[in-house]
Amino acid sequence: MDIMNIDIMDILMYAVYILIFPGLLFTCVFGLWLAGIDRKVVARMQHRKGPPLAQPAYDFLKLLGKECIVPDGAARITFLAAPWLGLASLVVTVLFIPIGGLQAFGTGGDTVVILYLLTIPTLAMILGGSASGSPFAGVGSSRTMVAIMSYELPLILIILAVGKAAGGYGVTFSLGQITLFQYLTAPFILDWRLVPAAIAMLFVIPCEVGQHPFDVGEAETEICEGPLVEYSGAPLAVFKLSHAIKMFVMTALFSALFLGGVTTGMLWLDIVLTLAFCSVVTLVCMSLLHAISARFRVEQLFKFFWTVVSGLALVSLLLVWFC
Amino acid sequence: MSYNVYNVYMHFPVLAIMTLFVGAFCVTLAGKHEKVRNVIAGCAVLISFTLLALLVKPVMIDGNIITYWMGNWEPVEGYAIGIAIEVDALSLFFGLLITIAVACSCFYSYQYMKQDDARGSYFTLYLMLSGGVLGIVLSGDLFNIYVMLEVMTFAAVGLTAFRTWNPNAREAAFKYLVVGSIGSTCALLGTALVYAQCHTLNLAQISAILPGNLNPTTILAFALLFAGFGCKSFMFPFHPIAADAHGAAPSSVSVLISGVFTKTGVYGIIRVCYFLFRSMGLTSVQTMLVFIGCLSMFVCVTMALNQHDFKRLLAFHSISQIGYILTSLGLCTALGIAGGLYHAINHTLFKGLLFLTAGSVLYATGTTYLEKLGGLARKMPQTTALFLIGAFSISGIPPFNGFYSKWIIYQATFEKAAGGSIGYALVTVVCVVTSVLTLASFIKVGHSVFFGQANPELGNVKDPPLGMRVPMWILATLCVLTGLFPDLMLRYIIGPATAAVLNSVGYIDAAMGAGYAEAHLADPSLLAAPQLISIGAWQPASWLVLFVIVLLAVFLCSLLSRGNSARGLESDAKHAVFFGGERAEYSHISGGDLFWGFKHNLRGYLGFMSRVHTGVTNDYVLWGVTATAVIIAYCFVTM
Repeated sequence: MDIMNIDIMDILMYAVYILIFPGLLFTCVFGLWLAGIDRKVVARMQHRKGPPLAQPAYDFLKLLGKECIVPDGAARITFLAAPWLGLASLVVTVLFIPIGGLQAFGTGGDTVVILYLLTIPTLAMILGGSASGSPFAGVGSSRTMVAIMSYELPLILIILAVGKAAGGYGVTFSLGQITLFQYLTAPFILDWRLVPAAIAMLFVIPCEVGQHPFDVGEAETEICEGPLVEYSGAPLAVFKLSHAIKMFVMTALFSALFLGGVTTGMLWLDIVLTLAFCSVVTLVCMSLLHAISARFRVEQLFKFFWTVVSGLALVSLLLVWFC
Repeated sequence: MSYNVYNVYMHFPVLAIMTLFVGAFCVTLAGKHEKVRNVIAGCAVLISFTLLALLVKPVMIDGNIITYWMGNWEPVEGYAIGIAIEVDALSLFFGLLITIAVACSCFYSYQYMKQDDARGSYFTLYLMLSGGVLGIVLSGDLFNIYVMLEVMTFAAVGLTAFRTWNPNAREAAFKYLVVGSIGSTCALLGTALVYAQCHTLNLAQISAILPGNLNPTTILAFALLFAGFGCKSFMFPFHPIAADAHGAAPSSVSVLISGVFTKTGVYGIIRVCYFLFRSMGLTSVQTMLVFIGCLSMFVCVTMALNQHDFKRLLAFHSISQIGYILTSLGLCTALGIAGGLYHAINHTLFKGLLFLTAGSVLYATGTTYLEKLGGLARKMPQTTALFLIGAFSISGIPPFNGFYSKWIIYQATFEKAAGGSIGYALVTVVCVVTSVLTLASFIKVGHSVFFGQANPELGNVKDPPLGMRVPMWILATLCVLTGLFPDLMLRYIIGPATAAVLNSVGYIDAAMGAGYAEAHLADPSLLAAPQLISIGAWQPASWLVLFVIVLLAVFLCSLLSRGNSARGLESDAKHAVFFGGERAEYSHISGGDLFWGFKHNLRGYLGFMSRVHTGVTNDYVLWGVTATAVIIAYCFVTM
């Protein structure tokens, strides 16, 4: 009888984790909120009034009701399935990231798993764009892939540096252990050896999300939103939602890697604190950069990430190893 | 441990090899009756697979090692004079992956080879190749391995040139023959030197006598054997011939050359390094293997990005994946070996699948040239789905199998870095970057073959017949299963094989009698503790949840799109693709146009690479000989 109860409770708990918190519902709401403050702040920095905070949510709801057109030349199934695949894998990614000490999947997420999971939404966008048969989408997909190649090198270097710092004499890929280590000592952002890695991460976040100076793949003014050019209606809404959620996932990852272990003792307060961190990181690395810079060209982007950003991350890795 | 003579399992390994060779001759006897030929070949590969599958219980799970003395010539006074077939978990592991690939590819070729002439000799060569490959991994005799290596190589050369009307195929076969003979020569010379030193050719006995007896002769023998088997695995710098051979051979044969043939090289390297010489404990040998692995990985993946032919591209990826396996095996930790072996079986599965999809594209359209294809997803939906499964697997997208093995490899390299030098952390970085570039080049294939703009010349193309689809679906299912249930794989398949790699004492004792290893081996301790400790966590079971979500989502979206895009039969402007005013035929984005930013920045390196790969046999022979010389020199300096 007991076992039965536990099983049902477990299933219910997982259902809550996956569907409500920190899964689907919560990430959607908070992601859209982050997108909202980003738009608002950028507008204020450019002396515009800006849309209301809920504008991304309005956009999303409105798009859901619009007609969905599948172009003649498109590979229909892939074209329609891609956005949902991206969304689902983003939601799964959130479950691996500790938010305020709460981790949905008990044993602790894994940085390499997250690294790979994070490529799936972008991959979905590339495939969807490619499947639409449009040349604009083809160019956009190609550029998005170059963006992945650009940020993956610094990202793995950052993960290795943090993994070494948190592992003590060993190494670790476990986010749970990384957070625990910071809880026992101090957040890594205060560790001078990891400051270059944190700065590198601040560049990786907007590139992974596809935010302004690094949005070569979508580049509205050049290639009409690239992979999204043929999308309309619900699939487009899902892509926009995924974009918003990605902001949350990446900033939450930053919080776990560099601001982890900051605790007040109360779970709900910790969660609020993490959300506050996420918002601050969003403002620093996305809104600020967006407002003050012009878009990189593709080859500049690649060069920048493989030299400057990777260099920063590599410095951290070497410092962690030898200091 | 010991088996009595009447135990039925003892005879299975030799029967598995015999069936294939006997099948090869029977196929010839069948003459012009195509059905009979097919039935004989199918029976041979199935029997062979079944015999090995039945050995999983006694060998993998119960941990026995089967020794079979041909003609019952057992060792006399501690000297093995007869030819032995010795099957431990490692041999069986390779045997299983070989027979799976051979069986799938065999059934695929029934339909696939229908368009060819001279089909009479196809299955003869095919079964000779399979038998040779299986003979190598199950044999317990060094010279026997060399003989099988030659059988395999010549059958493979014949099959590469099978489409004799294709000049590329003839040229590839020639290159293969010439460069491959460097490997064979090295292996033969190495075998002769070992025989001169140990007065025996039995692997187990050599493994007992040779370790700890390093003198200039044995060092030379080691270097030669290493180079010889390395050549068979097409490691850098022997890789260009692989590209030609895989590209020109019929796809069903490419599966064998890429998924199976190369594995014998890997198997040989494991036997030479971990057993015969037990030299894996030396830092210099580890460094050499990891270095060669990393070079193969990175050079071949960047070469693959430059290719314009589907199958050539796959060929370069195949060496790139072999690079992962060699790197991982070179770490000489339990985790590293497990990762390498896991990747070996995954590579056989997903590369087999990808070559078969390439074959289907060729079968349907008559070309594998990327620029001539496009938009096939609408016409070949099943092939597209299969390709995507293969592409996700090789790129290591979770939850497909490539992810898990790569993930173990990252852990193993990084763990090694923590225990030793920071250089291994850079190996992890190379592995990850290679993985991203792999993804990129499969995006390129996906875009230019299956998605992107449809080529109007490919009008009435359709999915291949059922006989070709079923083997592909089997491989695809295995790709998903091995990715979803890594715990079972590790417990029943990879774990025992990893333990076998580290347990040369057991291997020796099984053949030469208990206590032989202890009496002869200088240092009978294990190379590393056979424990698998992960430094991270991954629960593929949680992926079932994802699958449910994805299925729901796809279902939902198909509902939504049906409701929303009700439309007439005739196409209107609303449903036309936006070309921005250009005409469709002038705005094609082909495979060669992709990844400009990347190619532009690395143009120096990429240009250099394509200039160096001249395609001239003399150059490749020069590379091979130079590499052998460097390996020999390196071994003399550091061992």
